[in-house]
Amino acid sequence: MPLLRLNVNGRPVETEVEPQTLLVELLRGPLGMTGTHVGCDTSQCGACTVLVDGQSVKSCSVLAVQAAGRSVTTVEGMARADGTLHPLQEAFIACHGLQCGFCTPGMMMAASCLLRVNAQPSDDDIGHALEGNLCRCTGYVNIVAAVRQAAGVMNAEAA
Amino acid sequence: MNAVNEAWRFGSGQAVRRIEDPALVRGQGVFTDDVAPAGELFLAFVRSTHAHGRIVSIDVAAARAMPGVVAVYTGADLRAAGLKPIATAPAFKRADGQPMAAPPKRALAEGHVRFVGEALVAVVAESRSAARAACDAVVADIEGLPMVMDPQRALAAGAPVVWAGAPDNICAEMRHGDAAATAAAFTRAAHHIRLDLINQRLAPSPMEPRSVLASFEDGRLTVRLSSQMPSAVRAGLVETIPGLKLEAVRVRVGDVGGGFGMKTGIYPEDIVVAWAALQLGRPVKWQAERVEEFLSAVHGRDVTSQAEMALDAGGRVLALRVRSLANVGAYPSTTSVAIQVLIGPWVTTSIYDIPVVDLHITAVLTHLAHTGAYRGAGRPEAIYITERLMDAAAREMGLDPAELRRRNMISPAQMPYRNAMGQTYDSGNFESMLDQGLALADWHGFAARRETSKSSGKLRGRGIATFLEWTGGNALEENVSVQVTADGFIELTSATQAMGQGIATSYAQLAVDVFGVPIERIRVLQGDTDRANGFGSAGSRSLFTGGAAVFVASEKTIAVAKQLAADTLEAPAADIEYAAGRFSVAGTDLGVGLFELARKQPAACIVVAAGSKAGGPSWPNGCHVCEVEVDPATGEVRVVAYASVNDIGRIVSPVLVRGQIEGGAVQGFGQALSEQVAYDADSGQLLSASFMDYALPHADGFRDFKTAFDTSVPCLTNALGAKGVGELGTIGATPALVNAVVDALAHGLDGAGLGRTAESVQMPLTSERVWRALRGDFGAPVFG
Repeated sequence: MPLLRLNVNGRPVETEVEPQTLLVELLRGPLGMTGTHVGCDTSQCGACTVLVDGQSVKSCSVLAVQAAGRSVTTVEGMARADGTLHPLQEAFIACHGLQCGFCTPGMMMAASCLLRVNAQPSDDDIGHALEGNLCRCTGYVNIVAAVRQAAGVMNAEAA
Repeated sequence: MNAVNEAWRFGSGQAVRRIEDPALVRGQGVFTDDVAPAGELFLAFVRSTHAHGRIVSIDVAAARAMPGVVAVYTGADLRAAGLKPIATAPAFKRADGQPMAAPPKRALAEGHVRFVGEALVAVVAESRSAARAACDAVVADIEGLPMVMDPQRALAAGAPVVWAGAPDNICAEMRHGDAAATAAAFTRAAHHIRLDLINQRLAPSPMEPRSVLASFEDGRLTVRLSSQMPSAVRAGLVETIPGLKLEAVRVRVGDVGGGFGMKTGIYPEDIVVAWAALQLGRPVKWQAERVEEFLSAVHGRDVTSQAEMALDAGGRVLALRVRSLANVGAYPSTTSVAIQVLIGPWVTTSIYDIPVVDLHITAVLTHLAHTGAYRGAGRPEAIYITERLMDAAAREMGLDPAELRRRNMISPAQMPYRNAMGQTYDSGNFESMLDQGLALADWHGFAARRETSKSSGKLRGRGIATFLEWTGGNALEENVSVQVTADGFIELTSATQAMGQGIATSYAQLAVDVFGVPIERIRVLQGDTDRANGFGSAGSRSLFTGGAAVFVASEKTIAVAKQLAADTLEAPAADIEYAAGRFSVAGTDLGVGLFELARKQPAACIVVAAGSKAGGPSWPNGCHVCEVEVDPATGEVRVVAYASVNDIGRIVSPVLVRGQIEGGAVQGFGQALSEQVAYDADSGQLLSASFMDYALPHADGFRDFKTAFDTSVPCLTNALGAKGVGELGTIGATPALVNAVVDALAHGLDGAGLGRTAESVQMPLTSERVWRALRGDFGAPVFG
C-alpha cells in the first residue's frame, strides 16, 4: 500500500492507503472525521465537499493519493483552536441555515471556497456557487442568507 | 437582568438559536454511518434487474469464495431460518369484499421478483468494497416474465398479473360519499368542469440515505438506524425474526439526515441487517447507496385522476367527483394504501363548503417499487386536484379565481365544521387568510407586473391555492418523561423523533416556559426504545402531541417537586412558590433550588412522567400565491414571487416554522417543475436513478419568499393550541405554482393564449413540456 503524507486541518498525517481509496473514505474511516458526509454515489449532492489547498473538492470523486502533499480542510477544521466558531458556522446557526444538518458541512466548505475568491458575493453569486450542493430541507433560503451574513462578518474582521 | 427575564427570552414564541446546531455545524453530529464499532462487517445487496421474473436459481458459491466474504444469504436461506414477511394489516378491502391484496413483502425476494431493485441476495464482508465485489459474483438465473408498469394497463383484461392473489391487479378500492346525490348535483349544475390530472411519482430524497447498524451493546442486539419511527422498527424486527423478543432488542436513532415520511416503518433491509448480525455475532452495517434509495426506498404520490366539479350559476360548488387510480407498486403496505384511499379523501373538499362528494379510489398493483409516506402523504394529491379544479372553474366562468374561492369558503360561524367525509374541523378563518394572502401578494397589482414581464417577452402568470390539511397521523397521544438531575439539567425524554425539524428546540422552549430556567439547562432525549416508545414522528404531529406532553409533564414536575420542597423546607406545600429554578417559602427568604432539591432525593434526581392526548387532528391552513414568468422561446418557468399566509395556530419557534414553510414550498416546487420518478415503459428499468436524472431544486432557484403567519386562530383540540406545520408548505406550493403556469399559458402574451386548453399540462412542468404545450402538444391523453 502506498504511504500517503498530507496535512489535514493543519495536522500532518502519514498513513498507508489502498490506491483505490477515495479521499472521503480516508477521512471518514481511518482518520475518523465523520463530519464529511456521503449523500450520493454520482458526485451530485456535495455533502462530501472539503477543501484541498483552499479549493472546494467533492471528496467522493478524488482518490486519497491525489491529496498527497496537500492541505485538506474539513468541517472539523473550521473552528479556531480555542473552539470559536468560524463566521460561516456562526452564520448558519444564526440564520437557521440548517435543518437536518447532513448537507451543512459540504455547504460551508463550498461557501468558504467562494468567499476566498469573492469576498462580497451577490445572492446570485452564492446560489450559483452552491449549485453543486443539494439541500432537501431548507429550500436554500437561509443557506444563502447565512453565506451573505458570514461574508459581511469576514469583511468587517478583515477591515 | 434577573434569571426569570433571562430565561423568558428562550421561551415559546421567541426566536432562539437551535440547540441541535452547535454539534451539527462542527461536524460532530452522529448519523448512523458515523458509528463504527470495532470488528464491524459490511452488508451489500444484490438487487433484481428484472421488473418481473421467476427466480430459477441463485448461485452464490463464487461470491462466498471471494476474499473477505463472511456470509451470503438468499431468500431461501431466510425462509429456512423461519423469517416471516413484513405483516400488512388488512385495514382495507377490495370491491369484492376481500381484504386488501398485497404479495408477502419478504426481507429478500423468494420465488418471484416484482420490481427492479427488489433485494435478492445479501452479502456480508469484512469491507464495503469486498461486499460489493462479491455481489457481482452472484449468479441469479431469473426467467423474465411479462410486466406492467401503468395502472390503466394493469387493470385491462389479460394484463400481466403482479401477484396470483389478485388476478385483476386490484389491491384495494374505496368509494366515499353519495354517488346518487353527486350525480343529481351534476345534472342540475350550470357548470361542469373536468380535468384529468397526474400526481406523478416522486422520490422523497432526504440527503442522508438509509443506514442500519446492528451490533451488540452490553450483549444485547442494538439496531441503530436512520428512522422516524424507532418503536415501529423494533416491533417489525420482533414480528419477522423468529425467537427475537421485544426486550431483547434496542433500537437507537442518532441524528437523522432528513426523513419526509420516507423513513417511517420497517424496511426489508433493516430485517436482513439485524438477522445477519444475530447469525454472525458481529456488528453488521448497511449504508444505502443513493441508487438503492431511488430503487428501493418508498416513493410518494403516483395517482392519476379524473376530477370533476359541479357549480351553480353563481359559482357555488355543488359537488365533487373524483376517480383515481393509485399506483402502489408491487408491495403495497397498509400505510401506502391508506394515504391514497383514505387520507387524501379526508381533505378533498378542503376549506370549501361542498355538500356532496363521490370519490372512488382504486389502489393498483404494478411492477414498480413500493410507495409510502412522502411529505403531505395524500393531502398534496387531493389539494392539487381541488385547487386545479377551482382555477379551471374560475376560468370557465370568467371570475377572479380568488373570488370563486371566496364564494365557497366555510365561515368561522360554521365551526366546528363536519366535511362531506365526516372529518371535523375545529377552527379556521379561511376568508381572512385569503384577504391577508391577497394583500401580501399584492394580488390586485398583478396586471402591471404582467405588462412589465410582457415588455421583456415573458408570459407572466399568477396562481393561488387556499387550502387546509389534516395533521397528526391519528396518533394523538404522547407521553414525556421529565428528569431533573442533580448536576443541573432538565432532561425530557420523548418517543417522537428528531429528523431535522428542530423538535428538540421547540420542546426545550416549552420547558423553559414552565421551569423558567435558561435553555442550556434543557436536554431532549429521543430515539432510544429503552427510554421511550410510541408512534414516532410523522404527519406533522410531534409538536401538538409531544409538545403538549412536554408542557403537561413539566407542570406536573413542578407540582411534584413543590411537595418535595415543602418536605425539605418543613413548610406547608401551599406556602411554597416556584420561580426560575427555585422554590421558596412565601414571605421568607427560605428556599431551595430545583437542582439542589433533586440532589437531596434518594435517587439524586426527580423523575416525573405524564402524557397528553389531543382531542382530534389539527387543521393548519393557508393562502399561497405564486407568480411565474414563462419564456415562450424555451418553455423555461421561473418563479418570480411567492407570498403565503399560514394559520398554524400558536407558534412556539417562529424561525423554525418559517423554515418549514419555505423549505417545504421548495419541495412543492420540485413536484411542480422538475421531479419525476421515471421507469422505462418496455423494460421496467429505473431511468431516474441518480441526482443527475432526478432533478431536485438547486440553490440557484427562487428564494425570495414573503411568509406570514396568523396566530389568532388557535387549535381548540390540543393543550398548546398549535397546528402541525411540517407539510403545509409543500401542499400549498405545488398547486399555486402550477396554477400560475397554467394562467400564463392560458393568457399568453397578449390575452390570446391557449385559454382552457392550457389546463391539459401535466407535472412536472419542465421546459420541454411547457415549450411543447405552447405549440399545442400536450402529450398523450391521461386516460387512453
